[in-house]
Amino acid sequence: MDAPRIVLGVIGADCHSVGNKILEAFFAEAGFHVVNLGVMVSQDEFLDAAIESNADAIFVSSLYGHGLIDCEGLREKAVERGLDKIVLYVGGNLVVGKTPFEEVERRFKEMGFDRVFRPTVDLAEVADLLRRDLEALKKD
Amino acid sequence: MDSKLLLSVDIGSTYAKGGLFALEGEELRLVAREVRPTTVDDLARVFGEVREAVLAGRTGGLPASGIPVYWSSSARGGLKIAAVGLTPDLTLSVARMAATSAGGKVVRAFSYELSAEDLAELRSVEPDIILFTGGTDGGNSRVVLHNAAALAGLDSPAVILYAGNRKVRERVVGILGDRAAATADNVMPEVGTIDIEPAREVIRRIFLERIVDGKGLSSVVAAVGREPLPTPLAVFELVRTIAERVPGWEEFALIDMGGATTDFYSHAKSFRGGGSVILRGLLEPTLKRTVEGDLGLRVSAEALFRSEAAFLEGRLRESGRGIEGLKAYVAEVSRGTEYLPDDEEGRGYDHLLAAACVRAAALRHAGILQRVFTPQGGFLVQRGKDLRQVRRLIGSGGYLAAATDPAILLEACAPRSDDPDTRHLVPGSPACYADAQYLIPLLGNLAADFPGAAARAAVAGLKPLTPGRLEKEPS
Repeated sequence: MDAPRIVLGVIGADCHSVGNKILEAFFAEAGFHVVNLGVMVSQDEFLDAAIESNADAIFVSSLYGHGLIDCEGLREKAVERGLDKIVLYVGGNLVVGKTPFEEVERRFKEMGFDRVFRPTVDLAEVADLLRRDLEALKKD
Repeated sequence: MDSKLLLSVDIGSTYAKGGLFALEGEELRLVAREVRPTTVDDLARVFGEVREAVLAGRTGGLPASGIPVYWSSSARGGLKIAAVGLTPDLTLSVARMAATSAGGKVVRAFSYELSAEDLAELRSVEPDIILFTGGTDGGNSRVVLHNAAALAGLDSPAVILYAGNRKVRERVVGILGDRAAATADNVMPEVGTIDIEPAREVIRRIFLERIVDGKGLSSVVAAVGREPLPTPLAVFELVRTIAERVPGWEEFALIDMGGATTDFYSHAKSFRGGGSVILRGLLEPTLKRTVEGDLGLRVSAEALFRSEAAFLEGRLRESGRGIEGLKAYVAEVSRGTEYLPDDEEGRGYDHLLAAACVRAAALRHAGILQRVFTPQGGFLVQRGKDLRQVRRLIGSGGYLAAATDPAILLEACAPRSDDPDTRHLVPGSPACYADAQYLIPLLGNLAADFPGAAARAAVAGLKPLTPGRLEKEPS
């Protein structure tokens, strides 16, 4: 089987680039085909890249606390543009303040994200989850 | 000194130009040049007339057939390319770049799945080549295979060049079946990676092998024993050669404005980076050509009047005039495309239209820099190409070649954005030059075989328009 294809990027007006480079290095090493869009990526740029590269998943990072507003509508737009099966993951410091993670997770899942991660998550765990999610999709 | 004569001819859609050059050691010297009107139905005759006029009494007893001929043509619509891509901002945008860099004019562009309506339109614009792209290597194949099937059934003599997702290339060729098809490496193998050279090379070959005949040029090929270049490709290669071979010319731009189109060529590093500048979108190539089909002084005057109405109206208002007089002038010159004004008013209108072409062509070719405020502070976001380091600017084509003042070319540098946080990345304050003898395409024809000599002769043949900056290097 071909390597799973993922599109990475930091959404919105967010310029945090260190974590993004770590994600790229980790997932490439872990056997994924990585398309890294870097920082300050718009929703359409994520979707264009996913369409052209036939991506299995989009990993959205957000570190500056404005994740909710930046990510809103991404799932709907993906469906509208024909990416109705794409896996959407999001992670980072998603909202400003001391909102409990469970609350943050619930809101992002409502917006159509398949999985939501804390900034402290072990990336090996993310890789395993993605492989599993993609397997499950194939069986559908 | 040993001297060898070379003839270069460019058959344009309205005029055919010829130049006789003497190759003396490492240098090319212009011996004579002539211009004749093009009669589109018999290009071989036009070619013969130009050759005869240029050679008259200058061959030193050599028969005309003993003088090597290099030539280009943009007659009969030039090289018409329809671009097919997947998403407008990625593969389609790169396909356009490949087509214009190969000397073509993009007559129509399509993204996503081709519909029946798209196919009807594709047929009606009568392209010479359909540049078919989409998907990164190993990426999207669904839309690409759909479009292959759609194109397989298209009733059009156009050559299809597939330069999309390499993983499905064989399947695409299989689907296209008996259709005239060619392939090249993917123009965008990875998201954001541009690789247009292979497609450019194949387009050049297709032009020579399959299109020259249809443009009525094969009789000329038979007579001179050499294939032509599309004129813009000759110019493109000369721009590259000048930048590589002439010190002080590493970063420059050339505007070729005609009756129908305005071409903008630049050789400059596209993105310079710097601490707080972030590039979004594609990293554009160092050597870039754009061609604007709605910017021209005659055939395209009506289209220019529509697309640049706000600018034209503003300029007229500054001098206390309304738009009506210009409107009537535009209607007149777009009918009589050979028209040359003989009064002050007409010359003024031509100057204004030329200013609009130069300005808009520069704006569309150049990128923008926007200041954005983020929680981490202010950043600058660049989109498109940075031309601020362009130190020299050449005007070519009828109107700009005749310029005696840099003002018209400096219109390329003037555009300011209405938004204080947005800046157009047009050239700063370049030294300006006119291709007064219209040697650019003629030397472009010679650039492949005599690169150093052609580049130096092209620069030496320019008329400097910026006083005080004629000889010295821009600092």
